[in-house]
Formats: sequence, structure tokens, C-alpha cells
Amino acid sequence: MFCLPALALYGLFVVVPLVTAFYYGLFRWEGIRQAEFVGLGNYGEVLTRYPLSEEIPTALWHNVLFFVGTMAIQNTIGLGLAVLLYRNPRGKRFFQTVFSLPYLISPLIVGYIWSLLLSPAFGPVNFILRTVGLESWARPWLGEPDTALPVLILVNAWQWVGGPMLIFLAALGGIPRELEEAAAMDGASAFRTFWSVRFPLLMPAVGVITVLTFIGCFNIFDLVYALGGSDGGPGGAMDVLGLLYYRTAFEGGTNAIGESSALAMMIFACVFGVSVVLERFLRRREVTL
Amino acid sequence: MFRTRRNVVAALGLLTIGLTACAPSAPESGAPSGAAQEITLDVWGWRQEDVAAYEKIFKIYEDAHPGVKVKYVPYKSTEYDTILRTGLADANGPDVAQLRSYGLLQPLVAAGSLVPLDGEVKELSAFPETVLDGARGVSDKRVYGVPFAIQTLHVIYNKTLFDKHGIAPPATWQEMTAAFDKLAAADVIPLAATVTDTWMLPIQQEIFGATTYGGQDYLKRMLAGEAKFTDRPWVDSLTTWKGTSKYWGPQFAGTSYTDAQALFTSGKAAMFPGGIWELAAFAKADPHLQLGIFNVPAAPGAAVTKTLVPGFVDGSFGASAKTPDKAAALDLIRWMASAEFGQAFSKELRQISAVPDVAPADPLLAQALTAYTADPSPYVTYAYFSGGTPTAWDLASESLSKFVLGRSTAQEAAKHVQQGVDQWFKPTQ
Repeated sequence: MFCLPALALYGLFVVVPLVTAFYYGLFRWEGIRQAEFVGLGNYGEVLTRYPLSEEIPTALWHNVLFFVGTMAIQNTIGLGLAVLLYRNPRGKRFFQTVFSLPYLISPLIVGYIWSLLLSPAFGPVNFILRTVGLESWARPWLGEPDTALPVLILVNAWQWVGGPMLIFLAALGGIPRELEEAAAMDGASAFRTFWSVRFPLLMPAVGVITVLTFIGCFNIFDLVYALGGSDGGPGGAMDVLGLLYYRTAFEGGTNAIGESSALAMMIFACVFGVSVVLERFLRRREVTL
Repeated sequence: MFRTRRNVVAALGLLTIGLTACAPSAPESGAPSGAAQEITLDVWGWRQEDVAAYEKIFKIYEDAHPGVKVKYVPYKSTEYDTILRTGLADANGPDVAQLRSYGLLQPLVAAGSLVPLDGEVKELSAFPETVLDGARGVSDKRVYGVPFAIQTLHVIYNKTLFDKHGIAPPATWQEMTAAFDKLAAADVIPLAATVTDTWMLPIQQEIFGATTYGGQDYLKRMLAGEAKFTDRPWVDSLTTWKGTSKYWGPQFAGTSYTDAQALFTSGKAAMFPGGIWELAAFAKADPHLQLGIFNVPAAPGAAVTKTLVPGFVDGSFGASAKTPDKAAALDLIRWMASAEFGQAFSKELRQISAVPDVAPADPLLAQALTAYTADPSPYVTYAYFSGGTPTAWDLASESLSKFVLGRSTAQEAAKHVQQGVDQWFKPTQ
């Protein structure tokens, strides 16, 4: 009974749009006028029409790289910061706030600010690099296909690193001190204690963060749009599924509604499917006290 | 159990009341309008910065038509197309709407959202066919809007910097590159070229490459299926354009549209290849900036020997098929095809009116219009190959980005455009 309001809202704002998108994707559209039923025709069109047929696997690959990069950089740094703050409680609240502050800024603004900072013509980043003698390091960061995606990963990590840090910090606080003390008494090094005692007990937190990161990385749109525009930056180096959907829906042709709905359903099926598998896999590896 | 069911009913009731409250009310303008009743025509558009100017322009119409009020309702440019598509679906939407041109107009034509103007607006017969192309439905060849502005593409230059370095607008390609060299030697970036905002790339390709492929003549052959993007002239036009990249400044790969504008207005760069619409933005950024325009002379080995001026129709005004005041809306649209509207538009908005024989008061706009009228060249990817999906403009934006960054050859870039267009384009015989 208590769930009813939440269920109603969930139904209205999640289930209804989802079912609507699925339904829309089954028809051909002429602008905003629904034309004939085409079944899975829009799905076929999206998967076979050039250049979408080539852009989908490329964008998907960029999402995968973005996810792997974010896991490696954002979440590792998040864990590192959590451990540091856990060990040195002085100034803990202050640093918690500082690291979480970029959370409060819209990704669009973050993207815009970073594109100004990294501008080769006027940006302070290259200016500083040149001033300290690192002339060869001063590059058009968002203009070169090789650096654009790594920059996206770093800027995204800059904004969201506070999230995994807070979750890890809470999880670290939940580990009984006795376990670490027992390990120390048995002669385990700090490194060994971390990997053999703490980390296995952090697995539930790792699982939650991995699934959240996966969903976030596969739904990314605003930040990458602000950094590289709707085409996904230089030579499409930052093109991701979210941008592809945007282009199909808002820069598409007459049948934009049909094709973009089909694409949205495919993205949803991919993110939902992998999230469920990932969650099950990680749950099995969890260690309970 | 009983209690639970009652709660469920109560919750559903509340939800229903909430949803009903959110439902749109009956259209105000749907009420029968008496002769004495004032008509308000809503004109939707994407130019938030032009509201004051449109108010002045429409005041002229209102004064001549007592009982009619015209209201310009602007939306954010990037969201306008979606809002308009939805708005045109019911009577609460616009009576008259500012319409995008060429391919971007087609979804509205396909949805039957607009009133065809053939036979309704006789003034359109005075408009050149190339101008009407911007407001035509590709499928039925009918005209759906009165074109309001022509945009032309040029190299905009800083007169003060040109004078300082003893440079005049070039008459030949050699003169132009000599001027670029002279500026580069004096540590001035010759060309503030946009690279990361890929929509600017096809514009720059037209500015520098039009003479190489041949402009209007080549377009005619393309439309007839006798020439392709992958043929030598068009491929060479990409190489001609990219040949100027050594004058685009250091690390041009990261130069965004706003960077390029700032490089030009700050005097770090002497020229900005772009649309005539930039003049207003440049004057706003620095009112003391002395500006001039020129077009790129024929490149070595070009298909034509004269200088070409690329241009296109920016948009048009059309009537919603759902407007409850169709007669009044069409009357306003007829007025928009008149010289009176054209002159007011040109004066208030500092743009080239699409109405024939309206001379802009601004000397640079007048120069642009004279040059375009004498030697017009089409904006091929945007205007003529944008009626299907994917558009040549989108394809060119993507492939030219890879091309200027050295990730593909000119042939590969051209193939990307042709391969995409081949899926829907049918030549007209």
C-alpha cells in the first residue's frame, strides 16, 4: 500500500514512456503523423542504413571505453580518497564536501567550462603548460581524435569522483575494526590487510558502484554534448549512443520518431540486459560477514 | 482488505484529478470570432534576439490592419524544431511559423502541418526559383513558405589589419595566398577557421572550394545524376579548401566556433570565413571593428574562372494548417512577400531580405547581395541534398572533420557523402 504513490509515479514517468517508445518504434512516421505499421522495420532501417550502421558499433565501443576508463580512473581514485579520509579523519567533512562539490554543477556547465579551460586559443591549461616549459604538451585537447575521449573520461571523473568516494567511505565505516586488528596481530602488512580483509568486504559497494557507473556511462549525453557537440567531437572520436540517439531524434528526417524510438529501445535493452547480468555476477562475489 | 481497496480507489481518484488538472484547456482561439473581435496572430520563430525588431516590423502591419495583432513568439533555436513539430499539431500552436529551409522543412510538409501557398500568395511568382527552392516540399514541389532571408558566404576581413599590412581584397588566388603569407609572417593568424564545430566545415568548403567544382553548373549535373560527390571536381574542391589550412593558426584542430569568432574580433586573426550573419555578432563584440567582405577568387585549375558567391535561403514564413484564423494568417504571409516587409526586415534585422528588388541599407549587405546576384553559387550539401536521411550536410560535417584532421583522404570523405546520399537520392531528368 505504501508503495502505491511511488508505483504510480514510476508507472507514469518510466513505464509509460518506455511502452510508448516501443509502440512508436513499430510505426513509420511522417513528421508527427503516425503512418503505417512496420513491425521491426525501423530496427532494420537503423541497423542497416549507412552511416548509422557503422556509427552504432563505433558509438557502442566508445561507451565501453568510457565505462572501462571511468572504472579505472574515477572509481579507483574514489576508493583511494575514501581510504585516505577513513584513515585520517581530520578534515574529513571538509574534503568530503570539496570532492562532492562538482556534483552540484550541471554537466552541461562543467563541459562548457572545461572546453574553455582546454581551448588552444585562449584556455589557461595550455598557457600554463607553455609557461612551465612543457610546450610540446600544449595540445588542442578536445580537437584531436586521440586525446578527446581520454579528456572526456577525466572531466567526467573530475565531476563524479565524490560519488564512489562517499559510498566507499560509508562501506569502510561498516567494516568492524576487530577484523583489521586481528589481521595486524597475525602479522599481515597494511597492503595485505587491505586486499585480503577490507576489499572483499567492500564488494557490495563495488557492485553498486559498478552497476551505477555502467548505467551512467551508457546513458551519457550532456557532458559529451557540451564538450564535443552533437557529432561527438573531432572525427566522431567521442560519439556515444546518447548522441547517436539525439541526432536520430532531433536531427533526423521525416521518420525521426520511428527510428529514434527503435534506437532508444535497443539502447535500453542493452543497458538493462547488461546491468542485470552485471548485478548477478557481482552479487555472487560478495562476501557477507 | 476492505480498507485497502478503499485506499486504492481513493489513490486512483486523486491520480485522475491530478491528471485532469494537467490536461490542456480548450483552445482560446477556437471560440467563434465576430467581426468586431480582435484577432491575434501568433508568429513562432527561433530568433530570441530579434523580438524587438519583429515587434517594430509587425507594428507596420498592425497599423494598416486595425483589429489584427501580430505577436512574435520566440523559442530557443536548438529546441525550436521539436517544439514547432508538436505546436503545429493543434490549434493552440502558431498561426504563422518561421520555417527552416530545404531538408529541415520536409518533416513538416510530410506531416501536412502547413498550408501550401501556390495560388494563395501571388507575390511569390516574382521570387526566383532558386530562392523558392528553400521553401519547397521535395515530394510535391509545392511552396510552403515565403522566404525571408538570403544568407551569403564570404571571407569577412578586418579592414584595419588589412590596411596596416598593406593588403587589399584579392582579385586572384595568388594575390590571396600572398596576402595570407604576409599576415602569417607578421604573426597575425590569416584565417580564423572553425574546426571542432563541424557544421561550419561544409560552409568553409563552399567558400574556398566552389570555383573548383564549378558551383551552379555542377549542381545541375548532380541533380540530373550526371555528376557525383565522388567525381574529380568535388573531391578536388575539398583539397583546394584544405590547402588553406596552413593559414588557420597554430593547433587549429581545437578551434571552436566561438574561439574562431574571438580570434577574429580580438584582432589576433585577420579573416573569418563564414556567413554574412556573422556581421551582427562581430559588431556586437566590438562596435569599432572595421569590417569588409570578399569572395575567394578562382583557385588554380578551377572549373570556373570567375569568383563565385555561395548563398542559400535561410528560412521562410508559412501558415499552420490548424490555424483557426487562416484568412488572416494568409493575409499576413502575403504582406511578408511585399517590398514593405522586405525593407523593414532588412533595416531592422540587418539581413538580406529574400523579397526581390529590396536593396539593403547596410553597405556590406548591399555588397554581398550584389555579388550574390551577379555570381550565385549553391550551398550544395545543405540546400539540395538534404531532402532525405541522412542529409549530405550531416554526412559532409562528419567526413570533412575527419578529412581536415588527416584521418581520411578527400576521396574517402567524398565517398562517405555519396554513399549516404545514394540511399535516397533520385536524379531528376
